[in-house]
Amino acid sequence: MSLFGFHYRLERKAIGLTLAIILVASIGGLVEIAPLFTIHQTVEDAPDMRVYTPLELAGRNIYIREGCYACHSQMIRTLRDEVDRYGPYSLAVESKYDHPMLWGSKRTGPDLARIGEKYSDQWHVAHMNNPRDVVPVSVMPAYGWLLTTELRTDDLGLHLKAMRRVGVPYTDDMIANAAVDAYAQSNPDSPLADGVTKRYGKATTLRAFDGQPGRLTEMDAMVAYLQVLGRLTDAATKSTARAEAGQ
Amino acid sequence: MIAQLTLTERQHAIMISAAVAVLGALMILVGQDDAMSIHGVLVFVASAIMIFRIGGSYYAPLPSDDRLAHYYDDPSKVGIVLSMIWVVVGLAVGDWVAWQLVNPDLTFGPGWSSFGRLRPVHTTSVIFGFGGNALIATSFYVLQRTSRARLPDQVSPWFVLYGYNLFCLLAVTGYLMGVTQSKEYAEPEWYNDFWLVVVWVTYFVIYLRTLARRKEPHIYVSNWYYMAFILVVAILHIVNNLAVPISLGHTKSYSAFSGVQDAMTQWWYGHNAVAFFLTAGFLGMMYYFLPMRAGRPIYSYRMSIISFWGITFFYMWAGSHHLHYTALPQWVQTLGMTFSLMLLIPSWASAGNVLLTLNGAWDKVRDDATLRFMMVAGVFYGLTTFEGSFMAIRTVNSLSHYTDWTVGHVHAGALGWVAMITFGSIYASVPWLWKRQQMYSPKLVEAHFWLALAGTVIYVFAMWNSGIVQGLMWRTYTESGTLAYSFVDTLVAMHPYYIARAVGGLLFLIGGCIGAYNIWKTIRISGAAAEQASDVPQPAVVGAGTLQPAE
Amino acid sequence: MIEHAFLVGFSKSFGLFYLIALSIAVVIYAMKPSNKKQFDEAAQSIFRDEAGPWR
Repeated sequence: MSLFGFHYRLERKAIGLTLAIILVASIGGLVEIAPLFTIHQTVEDAPDMRVYTPLELAGRNIYIREGCYACHSQMIRTLRDEVDRYGPYSLAVESKYDHPMLWGSKRTGPDLARIGEKYSDQWHVAHMNNPRDVVPVSVMPAYGWLLTTELRTDDLGLHLKAMRRVGVPYTDDMIANAAVDAYAQSNPDSPLADGVTKRYGKATTLRAFDGQPGRLTEMDAMVAYLQVLGRLTDAATKSTARAEAGQ
Repeated sequence: MIAQLTLTERQHAIMISAAVAVLGALMILVGQDDAMSIHGVLVFVASAIMIFRIGGSYYAPLPSDDRLAHYYDDPSKVGIVLSMIWVVVGLAVGDWVAWQLVNPDLTFGPGWSSFGRLRPVHTTSVIFGFGGNALIATSFYVLQRTSRARLPDQVSPWFVLYGYNLFCLLAVTGYLMGVTQSKEYAEPEWYNDFWLVVVWVTYFVIYLRTLARRKEPHIYVSNWYYMAFILVVAILHIVNNLAVPISLGHTKSYSAFSGVQDAMTQWWYGHNAVAFFLTAGFLGMMYYFLPMRAGRPIYSYRMSIISFWGITFFYMWAGSHHLHYTALPQWVQTLGMTFSLMLLIPSWASAGNVLLTLNGAWDKVRDDATLRFMMVAGVFYGLTTFEGSFMAIRTVNSLSHYTDWTVGHVHAGALGWVAMITFGSIYASVPWLWKRQQMYSPKLVEAHFWLALAGTVIYVFAMWNSGIVQGLMWRTYTESGTLAYSFVDTLVAMHPYYIARAVGGLLFLIGGCIGAYNIWKTIRISGAAAEQASDVPQPAVVGAGTLQPAE
Repeated sequence: MIEHAFLVGFSKSFGLFYLIALSIAVVIYAMKPSNKKQFDEAAQSIFRDEAGPWR
């Protein structure tokens, strides 16, 4: 056998093994995940669902930045005690604008899927500033600096644009006014506030979330996000009500 | 390191470093946020140091052709040292955050020292820093010896090793600044993900090129596992990290997937990272170092092949067991559960192979702490895979999920299996690599073993208890049909277990430090007298006769 | 447009067939008597002492 032929055979074995591994391994994922991308055909839609405002999205990004997802889930399972403790179980449609999802995997702290408007803004600000002031045995870190850090808004338009590219229906109008809307949502008395309501709907909450109306801080964004959790659509309460009526 | 490179290799190394330096400069120039600029500086400085180091020895005498008669082990040596540095850092941060759950004010105040940012520093340092470096180092070592071929060149292994460590460094420093995608075990942002793809492709090309030069017609099974590890991690990494950055100057990106699809993709990634990073790669390690250290061939080579293909095609379906009772369609959950149960077959085939290989050599296990590391790893591998299949059952999962039971399970695997097999393999290979008779201090290996075992057992038992207690408290009702405990009540109940866990972690950390010290002393000891002639490890056999297959 | 129901049905059924077929193939490959010699040699191969790479 020629030296070349000998080597050719050896190489073929390594490449064959490579291809076999790729083939065998990728089929499983493909077959299991592919149907999920046609899931919209069967899952009920929520036509009333709104997108995150720029301020809420900024808050969501702080939630990601600080690693909150490591200790808080946002997924109420279809178990009786979870529904009794946290509220109606989570539906797939509720996180359809969540890029990425923040379902979480661990509850060192409680689930937050329906935390929105359960507590006052003041409670959240006090709790974030020092959790032990509000819950003495809490093991959550303190996030006091959120109150003093200005929120960066100049790139919010880019954030909305990227979100649109992955499929979230932000309009040109929303993108152009992203920074203004972030400011206005936490300054309800400002003349710009009407624009937020116009673009994101009447159900949008406009408040000085951190208790300092003139100032846009990271705390504003964080609390605005927490207060909208579970409230982008009422599909879950509706479906629970329907299920109960059906019984 | 540089003295071994030929002139062209020195030139290539400088050119590659210069290209990376340009990338770093670009990151500084287009950077629109602090993190991108700081990372640009880091990349630039790292590659500048490389250029100066190579340039400084550019005119050093060229290596003789004698080098081709030996295996190229320098990258493996450096990889092992880096791996030990990462493990000490990773364990220390892990124990720090464990104490933070005992006393939440154990931070320095600013954001970087809070639990949420430190936790991925811990996971990345131990999984990718410690585990990854150990896998790269041992895979080069095993690949060359099982193929009886030298690595194809002397630049690409360094590119893989240093490139990979740059990835880890950018990842870890990024978390401290708040740069994260929030996808567990895939936290690094888009630019770092790109970089890892480049490094990873080079890694696999080295594998193929070395195999193409091999003398043995059969590819030894360790290499199958290492290859599956490299290939499948590449697939997982690319798919799960598909994202749109908000601009090329920003660190932030948005995942291409959302909601339920994202959850499924993430846990398809997450579970198979366990399968192919933390299992397949380390099984490759085990299938070489265990027989070598025990001086006996693997009990059943056939069983190792069956479990290889079993792991490769069962695991891919199992990820959805992370999403039981969620908004994920139930048929996907059922599929995940079924395959998770079947995974027990290939997993126990591997664990059984470990113990059956040692059957008949128990005297060696008794006397040799290094071999005992490997044996305990096999036992924990069997226990953890059993526990994993058990926890994938929907009804069990309804109790265990979201609690510390999961944390305990992960650490039984990570401390008991991954770390133990790695320490065992490192203790076996360090004397072989540095040509010493034995480790600097076998007594310290013994001490490390007992600290590691005690730490793991304390940790895992604490988390089992806290997980089950908390899970039960969450679902307990009073006679009048209301929930018996508030969430805060369960927190109070966790406190003693959190202390125990942090103590267990501390023992494991002390063991790791002792290991690092022992390895350092072994390297630094003047070894002229202890030099071994052979390039191939001598199995630690006392009065070795002919080797008999145990089958 | 691919039907969701079709994909789900395919997943549920194909998974089983794929699993059984691959398992049989792997067991045959591993247990084939003509492969025994090759595997026994492979298991021993790591002990063969040669002082370095063959080239």
